[in-house]
Amino acid sequence: MALMNQSSEPIKTVQKPRSVTINPPKMCQPMGAILAYMGVHGCVPLVHGSQGCSTYPRYNIARHFRESAEVAVSSLAEDAAVYGGARNLTEAIKNVKSRLNPDAIGICTTCMSETIGDDVKLISKKALTPGDAVKIFPASTPSYVGTHLTGYDNALRTLVETMAIKGVANNKINIITGIINPGDIREIKNMLRLMNVKSIFLSDISDTLDSPILPGGQKPVLPDGGTSIGDIADSANSLGTIAICRTAGSAATYLKNKFNVPSVLEPAPIGVINTDRFVHNICKLSGVSIPDDIIKERGRLIDSMVDVHHYMYGRKVAIFGDPDLVSAIVRFCAEAGMNPTVAMTATKHKDFAPDIRAVNTEYKTDTQILEGTDLYEFHEVVKNHGAELILGNSKGKDVADDEGVPLVRFGFPVYDRVGVYRYSIMGYSGSVYLLDQMTNAILGHKYDPNKLHQ
Amino acid sequence: MTTILPECDIPIPQRQTHIICHDPENMVLPMCNVQTVPGDMTERGCTFAGCRGVVGGPVKDAIQLVHGPIGCAYYTWGTRRNLSDTKLHRKYCFSTDLTEESVIYGGAKKLLNSIIESHELFPEGKAVFVYSTCVVGLIGDDTEAICRQASEKIGIPVIAFHCEGFRGVSQSLGHHIANRTLFEKVVGTSEPEITTPYDMCIVGEFNIDGDAWIVKPLFERMGVRVLSVFTGNASYADIPPMHRAKLNIVQCQRSSTYIAKMIQEKYGVPYINVSLFGMEQTAQALRDVGKFFHLEENAEKVIAEELAKYQPLIDQYRRKLDGKKCFIYQGAPRAWHWMGPMRELGIETILTATTFGHRDDYEKIIEKAKPGHICIDNPNALEIEEYLVKLKPDFFIGGLKEKYLTYKLGIPFINGHSYEEGPYAGFEGFVNFAKDIDVAVNSPVWKFINYPLEVK
Repeated sequence: MALMNQSSEPIKTVQKPRSVTINPPKMCQPMGAILAYMGVHGCVPLVHGSQGCSTYPRYNIARHFRESAEVAVSSLAEDAAVYGGARNLTEAIKNVKSRLNPDAIGICTTCMSETIGDDVKLISKKALTPGDAVKIFPASTPSYVGTHLTGYDNALRTLVETMAIKGVANNKINIITGIINPGDIREIKNMLRLMNVKSIFLSDISDTLDSPILPGGQKPVLPDGGTSIGDIADSANSLGTIAICRTAGSAATYLKNKFNVPSVLEPAPIGVINTDRFVHNICKLSGVSIPDDIIKERGRLIDSMVDVHHYMYGRKVAIFGDPDLVSAIVRFCAEAGMNPTVAMTATKHKDFAPDIRAVNTEYKTDTQILEGTDLYEFHEVVKNHGAELILGNSKGKDVADDEGVPLVRFGFPVYDRVGVYRYSIMGYSGSVYLLDQMTNAILGHKYDPNKLHQ
Repeated sequence: MTTILPECDIPIPQRQTHIICHDPENMVLPMCNVQTVPGDMTERGCTFAGCRGVVGGPVKDAIQLVHGPIGCAYYTWGTRRNLSDTKLHRKYCFSTDLTEESVIYGGAKKLLNSIIESHELFPEGKAVFVYSTCVVGLIGDDTEAICRQASEKIGIPVIAFHCEGFRGVSQSLGHHIANRTLFEKVVGTSEPEITTPYDMCIVGEFNIDGDAWIVKPLFERMGVRVLSVFTGNASYADIPPMHRAKLNIVQCQRSSTYIAKMIQEKYGVPYINVSLFGMEQTAQALRDVGKFFHLEENAEKVIAEELAKYQPLIDQYRRKLDGKKCFIYQGAPRAWHWMGPMRELGIETILTATTFGHRDDYEKIIEKAKPGHICIDNPNALEIEEYLVKLKPDFFIGGLKEKYLTYKLGIPFINGHSYEEGPYAGFEGFVNFAKDIDVAVNSPVWKFINYPLEVK
């Protein structure tokens, strides 16, 4: 609970360290693990814990994606606290299997099951009968360690550890998404299509959590889409792995160490330079050259930045959210001539502060770095350093309202606006959309309309 | 046999006792208030949810401090639409944010510091409510002692709720724990400044989307003084004098009858059950209260005024909704609260379900049910889907988690937990309810689901 004080430019605001956390923009591990599992085709997430541990994440998914998320729970109760949860988990696996006939069951643990010490790997292994086709992913995701991003990372690595197997080279690139939106995933797929590069997404919620209403209201038992189990197995044979979010990168490291699949852990493709870097990495891994269509998309982003620079130059912007997205957006805001005053993340990550310090050096900005803290502190620092615009998820509404500035929503969860999950803020096109959102928020907010008649 | 086993439950036949098809000749109630079948895709939540989310959470000037790892605090931060006229309880989320170190060495010190700091930063908080989550129960922090110590230090009440999520079978135990805790530690700790012969508490009214702001004035217009609402838009100071009411009325009879009973037993204050939904039930509630306080004429006057204003609107909606069939799936009481009001709109409820109903909830449902009515205890996602597909109701009143499943099946839906455009209680609220049903059922969006894309 402290400001980063090892920054090259010392932080001016010094907060008293607190024990209490107030308004944390972070969730617990099972939330992230469920999202990782939701991106696997035919996979049912199973939470080994109390019933709230599945109900609350389901509620959160429903309100962000406006989709149903079916998640099983082992319904631990007092008897499990005394005798352990093996009986519940065994029965839960059996029931999920027999009623839903899934390709896989993605188990995540909770504070409860970790504290009572259940050996989920062993219990789940025993729960299967010989010849069972269903795959079990036993991720350890105690809620008292890390955040939702840790849970995503642990579940995703478990997927790969369980399935990846050496075979024939597949000429594909693995893309680890992290917790990003269906719109972002579709945009990255679009870029790869333009570049004529084949890919395996680890994992892929772009269909499972953005599904259509089908003619006649026909609904599959489990949602269509998601990465197939076969593709996860094949991830060991790819040209390389690029993690869009480095917080989800441990599976990339695993593939590199175990199968010599090169791993690329670099900033998320938002803005000019970070997206350039992503394109270069694709080219480097796959040997393709940059197609004209990508150059045109890049040109449109630069065109959009030029179009709005008179409105946006020097605009103070405060950003909070998951570290990979925040640091990439800080750079993009600086590229657009804005003045990122505060960058805050509740999840600590080793690359967060160095990324932002690099932007500060390059663009002579003075972005305050807050890491592992809460929105109460974010707000205090915003009051001191100013913001004309806040970027963050729906939990930033009160800070924005109190400061009398607009909130441009990105990240997870966004529940007080519709459709945010549908659009991309990534790649050149997504960056155009993000910049337009920011500019329109500024123009719509106390901007003299006489200045907009040209 | 009137219990039934849907196809999806063939592998888990123990679900059969929880699902009944009502037959007046052979009455049975669904098996209820027992452990969920593990892995059955239940919609149930935990004891913490019932305590912090439902009963304790609405108290608007209490610092709602969740003692545990971060998730439980985050997920209950401003989610339930229990509105108030101040911002503290929905705008801020307080947590001890326990990490591995606390799980090993205990979270006592962190809790004590957190209480003190919260009070220093938010002196407007009149009390601190401390909710224990699963891990706190397992590591054995003595939250009772810490809260006592903290209270002595900061000079305001600090109340420990022992509502670990793994306790009990559902949210229901959490309601009970919250009631008992508030009764034992708060009720009777101070006296009201004045009392009148017309003092009453509205119990089990959580001001969802502003319900309390509609129903409270109805009683006040009759000449009743509403001493406190338990706990919708309530201040902490509203709870201690509850024992001086002359009458308690109980709206949510699952989550809050406990405290009405305890007040009756200890202080001799009678309580009556009411349904403040729909025109007839709301009028009946006003009449019952009028009879108790000998304010019958006043009650009739208020009823007449309200009916004159709102009945014509309800009649209009009835013309558009007559003959429709619906499912109601709620926590418990709203399933039976709403069966009567639906009939006022010409709508028959063909299936009810509750997440954590007890025997008395199912008795109240069956009392109102027609033969063939299906009633499910603790339904799971697959059962809900199977019955939606099989029985094709015109609309479904459920909670957010069921909403998008229902939409995918092409069936209109109304969020009965938080409402669409509420409030739904009282005479005026029933007009909002009817309007939302009309919007759901008669929107043109549904026709495209069966409108094929064909090359002509």
